[in-house]
Amino acid sequence: MSEATPQDQPINSLGVLLAHALAMENDAADRYGELADQMEMHRKKDVASIFRRLEKAEKKHLVELEELTAEMDLPHISPWDFKWGGESPEAIAVDRVSYQMSVRGAILLALDHEKQAYGFYSRVAAQTSDSEVRRLARQFADEELQHVAWLEEWRDKCGPDDEMPFDDPDPPLSQE
Amino acid sequence: MTVQSVSLTIAGSGGAGVVTAGSLLLDAAARAGWYALMSRSSGPQIRGGEAAAMLRFATEPIMSHDDSFHLLMAIDWDNITRFSAEIPLTANSLIVGDPAHGDAPAGLLKNTPRQAALPMSEIAGTIENGRPNMVALGAIAAMIGLPPAAMRIVVESALKKKGAAAIEASMAAFFAGIDAAKALPAIPRLPAVAVDTTPRWNITGNEATGLGAIRGGVRFVAAYPITPATEVLEWLAPSLAKVGGMLVQAEDELASINQIIGASYGGVPAMTATSGPGLSLMIESLGLAVAAEVPLVVVDVMRVGPSTGIATKSEQSDLNIAVYGLHGDAPHVVVAANSVADCLFTTQWAVHLAEAMQVPTLVLTDQAMGQARAILPKPAELAFIGQREVAAAAVEGQRYKRYAMTGSGVSPMAIPGTPGLTHTADGLEHNEFGTPSSQASDHQAQMDKRSRKISQFNYGDHWADIEDAEVGAGDTAIITWGSATGPAREALQRHADAGGKARLISLRLIAPVQPEKMAEALRGITRAVVVEQSHSGQFYRMLRAFYELPAKTLSLHQGGPLPFGPQQILDQLKQLAAGSA
Amino acid sequence: MESCVQKKKYLAKDYKSELKPIWCPGCGDYTVLNAITRALAEMALPPEEVAVVSGIGCSSRIPAYTSVYGFHGVHGRALPVATGLKLARPDLTVLVTGGDGDGFSIGGNHFLHACRRNVDLTYIVMDNQVYGMTKGQASPTTAPDWEGSKLTPEGTGINPFQPLVVGLASGANFIARVSASDPVNMAQIIVEAVRHPGFSLVQVLSPCVTFRPEQAVWRDTVRTAVVDYTDDAARAARRLMTDDGFNVGKVLYKGSRPPYRPEFEVSEGSIGELEARFAL
Repeated sequence: MSEATPQDQPINSLGVLLAHALAMENDAADRYGELADQMEMHRKKDVASIFRRLEKAEKKHLVELEELTAEMDLPHISPWDFKWGGESPEAIAVDRVSYQMSVRGAILLALDHEKQAYGFYSRVAAQTSDSEVRRLARQFADEELQHVAWLEEWRDKCGPDDEMPFDDPDPPLSQE
Repeated sequence: MTVQSVSLTIAGSGGAGVVTAGSLLLDAAARAGWYALMSRSSGPQIRGGEAAAMLRFATEPIMSHDDSFHLLMAIDWDNITRFSAEIPLTANSLIVGDPAHGDAPAGLLKNTPRQAALPMSEIAGTIENGRPNMVALGAIAAMIGLPPAAMRIVVESALKKKGAAAIEASMAAFFAGIDAAKALPAIPRLPAVAVDTTPRWNITGNEATGLGAIRGGVRFVAAYPITPATEVLEWLAPSLAKVGGMLVQAEDELASINQIIGASYGGVPAMTATSGPGLSLMIESLGLAVAAEVPLVVVDVMRVGPSTGIATKSEQSDLNIAVYGLHGDAPHVVVAANSVADCLFTTQWAVHLAEAMQVPTLVLTDQAMGQARAILPKPAELAFIGQREVAAAAVEGQRYKRYAMTGSGVSPMAIPGTPGLTHTADGLEHNEFGTPSSQASDHQAQMDKRSRKISQFNYGDHWADIEDAEVGAGDTAIITWGSATGPAREALQRHADAGGKARLISLRLIAPVQPEKMAEALRGITRAVVVEQSHSGQFYRMLRAFYELPAKTLSLHQGGPLPFGPQQILDQLKQLAAGSA
Repeated sequence: MESCVQKKKYLAKDYKSELKPIWCPGCGDYTVLNAITRALAEMALPPEEVAVVSGIGCSSRIPAYTSVYGFHGVHGRALPVATGLKLARPDLTVLVTGGDGDGFSIGGNHFLHACRRNVDLTYIVMDNQVYGMTKGQASPTTAPDWEGSKLTPEGTGINPFQPLVVGLASGANFIARVSASDPVNMAQIIVEAVRHPGFSLVQVLSPCVTFRPEQAVWRDTVRTAVVDYTDDAARAARRLMTDDGFNVGKVLYKGSRPPYRPEFEVSEGSIGELEARFAL
């Protein structure tokens, strides 16, 4: 929706790439965690567990990245200046989830975003003029591809019950 | 000793300058070393309506108006009968009118007062720029024994900006009035007093309320104009600015109360002042301040209700809404001033109570004391300053509990800006952290705590004024509150002068109730009269609900706007005494 | 902008509390919470120097979900609480959050006067055109023909309130509309709103997935406004008059009216002077 098209701009510095990677993993871990919390709050344990596992996976990435960049002086980039434009590619948009979503629905949504993350790193690798950036971007892209593979595996394991949107016969409640 | 006093009213229509005349008289009386009390009454017009200034002078402090007036000085008769109920006259009273305006209307003559003529306009006409109200003042001064020198000082001060000619014209009219008074019948004269070394103040109840707030530490006021509370705000606006505070005029009373909640949450002691209609609008947010434990003070200068009622006149009928108006069980504090001077004490005390207990505290005054101007002994310096228990620093490894359970029920409050103690204050029921909770156990614990902090607080002796007749309390008490205390005090004095024994109990702390202290105050008392200016006897009903009253207890209650006279209360004391014979 | 000077000491999550929101999954309010915390992190404001004030409603739950100082008051009165707080404590950054019912119906008068008074506050209104906490009644911004509530089964028949038009006419010093579907843009606008002096109004199109599920299309209906902000209120008014409510993502109006900011004068110790005026 943002009119700027930072997607078209190459990343030619390692610091900038790492700042992007840190932000992406951070956003993804946060978002998966929030979605897991939301689903737990609404007693949707199956869907919550999908998001919780993804949160853990992203946190693992994040820790590795933080170790890698611990001694580095990375540039500060404001959220709206990242070269993906808008929300970071791996973070599921919060308005895409639903109280009544199925396990399969959650997996498909995550799959979309993991593919977007893969797409981002692939584009950076293709566009950059810096060989070190290219090498690392490809490595990151491969890691995202692993997530895609896991998710596809989970998707295929989904039983028929997991594919059905949750049906709640009770009406919403009054609060304050 | 019963006060030796003289009471008079100056009345007239728009342009007659009766309010100005009353103020000049009050100021001159102050210069002369007297004590004084002045109330005003007026028609519904914004300008130009009929007005009356009711004054009482004495050589000792006075607490109340008298039962009747010795003198009615009528500059004209326009619509004057609207005041006839407020200006009780007896056969001994004297009406002085200007023959240029014809005869006194029949409505004033029910009790056949004496009458005399003073051609004020004609006399004023002989003096360049002379005004009838100054002629009237001259005559009054001569009749009551007010030294002309005192009036000169006051006139010079009041007319300084208008120049020497205006001052001389006024004084010439004043002296012409003194001359003309030689032909008038006598009314009581006050003796000249030696220069009084007792420091005295000239102050209204509303000003005293404002000063009490500032002395107590209030530095933020948000309010919406309303009669008869507006003068509290008008006094506070420039005065707060002088002591590092501010007053904001809000868009309505809902905004007033919520702005002061915000300011107080921010750590600045805060107050608003209003009257019944405004208090009604504030009630929901008073409950918020109870639940969120935000200290604040709300002054209600009561007027005649319900609804818009009679905005310019007094009644003690907001007691119920102040005590019971909040929905839910909402422990809060209600205090009431019982004189012009006490507006200062009680408001200052209220700030102290609100801050110490982190609780909204209502101060009830009323139009009669709020808009009355008095010459009175300088009020004592008080030690009360609002002191809030503040959480100053985070404790390592502990999450801050805004609503922590404590023995006193008061939880140290973190002020925004303090690192490590961030929290959300909430009107939703909550746990100790402030997190919303619908658990029965949290509700019970928080209710207990909010109740405990005000029930266990040490209110000291200030909960009531307890005064015995010089000859002792005997077995009789007058139990009262607020403005009714003034005439009750005078009734007690007159009763004592006639050899009667009695005790006055005037409650300052209306809520929470103090049954043990009351039982102590009523020890040996077998008869009582409860006095209040409420049509339904709100105070009497409250006393019956919460206190053990003597077996023989009369209820003297009447709605506004007419104040009690001391004699009305004295009659009840006599009736009580007769009943025991 | 990229800069090598790393002033940032805070992450968005540093502004979130441990408390988990009760909002329905998919609710736009999650996005707003995200955008607010991201904006605060971007401005690197110490949490204790920020306060979030709210009234009642789903969106008014935000303060407790943050780690800054919060005040959750009664329905419709967030703006006066925030006004009192900011005037008493000008050192704090004060945000106000709430919904369309809280702000424009029960709190409507305060909205007018908050705009007019122009205290330095940022007011973020999550507009979902419905009362969610009470099971989905029409709000002041609901279309007249919406028949989804038992309270108004034939629709309200009343034209919806126009928050930005009214805000502009009442004197708001900063006006923007954003979409809950773009949290990054929202964070950017919130930063601008906080930094702009005076009263800043940010309307968020925030869908209610439970009572207005049809609002899911907003994500695709909204479009980035084609023109940048104006400092001319008349131009802003003309734009709003032809606006369908779905132009988002940019600031519409930035005024230059000075904020209402009476100073606490520092002249302690003069209570004696006040008293002296009463002495004879």
